[in-house]
Amino acid sequence: MFLGNLASLRYFLPEFAVTATILLLVVLHVVTKSPKSTGSGFLSLLGVGAAILLAGVSPAGAGRSIFEGMVAYDGFAVFFKVLTSLATLVVIFMSMDSRDLAGRSQAEYYIFLLSTLLGMFLLSSATDIVMLYLALELVSIPSYLLAGYLKGQEQSTEAAMKYVVYGATASGVMIYGFSLLFGLTGSTQVAEIGRSLAAGKATLPMLLAAVMVAVGFGYKIAAVPFHMWSPDVYEGAPTPATAFFSIGPKAAGFAVLIRFYFTVFAAEDPGTGLWRLTSAVDWPFLFAALSALTMTVGNLVAVKQNNVKRLLAYSSIAHAGYMLMGFVLLSSAGIEAILFYLVVYLFMNLGAFYVVVVVSNATRGEEISDFMGLGSRAPFAAVVLSIFLFALTGIPPFSGFIGKVYLFAEVIHRGVYWLAIVAALNSVVSLYYYARIVRAMFLEEPKDASAIPVPAVSFAMLVLLAAPTLILGVYWEPVARIAADSVRMLTF
Amino acid sequence: MGGFPATVDFSNPYFAVLVLLAIALAMSVGFVLLSQALGPKRYDRIKYSVYECGVDPLTPAAVRVSVKFYLLAILFILFDLEVTFLYPWAVLFRSLGLFGFIEMAVFVGILLVGLVYAWKKGALEWQ
Repeated sequence: MFLGNLASLRYFLPEFAVTATILLLVVLHVVTKSPKSTGSGFLSLLGVGAAILLAGVSPAGAGRSIFEGMVAYDGFAVFFKVLTSLATLVVIFMSMDSRDLAGRSQAEYYIFLLSTLLGMFLLSSATDIVMLYLALELVSIPSYLLAGYLKGQEQSTEAAMKYVVYGATASGVMIYGFSLLFGLTGSTQVAEIGRSLAAGKATLPMLLAAVMVAVGFGYKIAAVPFHMWSPDVYEGAPTPATAFFSIGPKAAGFAVLIRFYFTVFAAEDPGTGLWRLTSAVDWPFLFAALSALTMTVGNLVAVKQNNVKRLLAYSSIAHAGYMLMGFVLLSSAGIEAILFYLVVYLFMNLGAFYVVVVVSNATRGEEISDFMGLGSRAPFAAVVLSIFLFALTGIPPFSGFIGKVYLFAEVIHRGVYWLAIVAALNSVVSLYYYARIVRAMFLEEPKDASAIPVPAVSFAMLVLLAAPTLILGVYWEPVARIAADSVRMLTF
Repeated sequence: MGGFPATVDFSNPYFAVLVLLAIALAMSVGFVLLSQALGPKRYDRIKYSVYECGVDPLTPAAVRVSVKFYLLAILFILFDLEVTFLYPWAVLFRSLGLFGFIEMAVFVGILLVGLVYAWKKGALEWQ
């Protein structure tokens, strides 16, 4: 049953923590005389920390549909709330260190960051297409502002402009798809739409609606062919914001993709654990093609990049492709693999970006040539970056390998061998460009041999990010269990 | 597999919409092409100039508009929307009771924080 507004409030505590922090930040920014102080960063840390705690200790039990069916409260939503909050927490630490942002007004940056976080909370739990659209915009609009935060820098402005134009187009197409769905079924409730569509037979408008909605979600997770915005945005945006885009909105995009498609177009068969398709659309093939295309384009273009931020942008496109592999099979095990991979990806990707921030603070550059000789200039940073890069490649002792094993296992288990082969070839290609950075760090002479300082906070954060990357490579069972528990989605 | 209907179903209620769409498209494109093909073309300097109610144009058409207009417009939309929420609330004030009052206080409070921010930032000053 749906819970009313008042009864829902106790299931909405993490959102309250974030909202209160945003309001406090605005008030503090207005009353304090020094907008450039780091106080707002600490306040945001407290707020996000509180949100994680509240999400962790929120009333447990079966899933509930709260706010009259607008938002779901279930294990799936809680998983993504904790995941996106963790990403935001690391990004806040990164931002407090970053030289990109020093000397600029701080409070507004954190307000945008936390607004995006609030949007991601809602996006991962929305069960009504109106709420879903609102949440998507709440993620998108502050993201545009974050991308253009380096006012006066041409690249940053270009990034924001491209982001807005692509974003507006994608969300326009998506909401048109929503309107078709509403016209076909007469309901805005995702579950109700699913039931209605299951009853009738497949029609052209239904196919159109499904594809149009996929455009909106594909844009959020930067899947090929909706990825064009991401390299320019990733390059132009302040580096901490780039790190944030590469995991936060992407994770939320996967959350909404999974929840929406599984509620509207499929239902789980309790016997086989496979999701029975309720439409005549050949989803497995469609998503397999999308996945193969996304990882191949991402990896092949990454090979040619010389800017590390751009390289990581294409690598993040490729990783979205790997993760889509779990979606192809429409099975619970596939979704578990995606969730597990997102956790692994969170640590290794944010870690890689963290080192980029540390290095570019010192060298003022993000080209691969700026990383030359890092092994002697900052041995610790070079070693952890190598760990993150090899984890991203998916080489055995690191967590990325286990993440890929889960994704591959599901694909092979269901007999989609060609996709597994494409993904394996892609991993080989990715080794080339990740190893290029490692080679520059250890085998090439630096232009300037002075040591690069690693501040204490950065050091601690890098250790905290590297530890899970190493530990999850040998002892991953608890996280895999959490991912498996979180797949229980609210479907009624 | 495949969602496409194999044959055209004329009894489908949307068929009329399709016909309308086809005619509308044909007419709009057709008339543009027709006037292009049949119309006389005598171009001179006056014809190329910008049409401004028959008066000679004074300035180029692409003028830079101050960003303050957009700022004010956004603030206007914000508080205009606030009013559209306040009206039905005021009408139903008695039946909504204390809960409605608190809910609206929270809503207005959040907007108030925004107003203070905009004010302090000088968004309401026109220089």
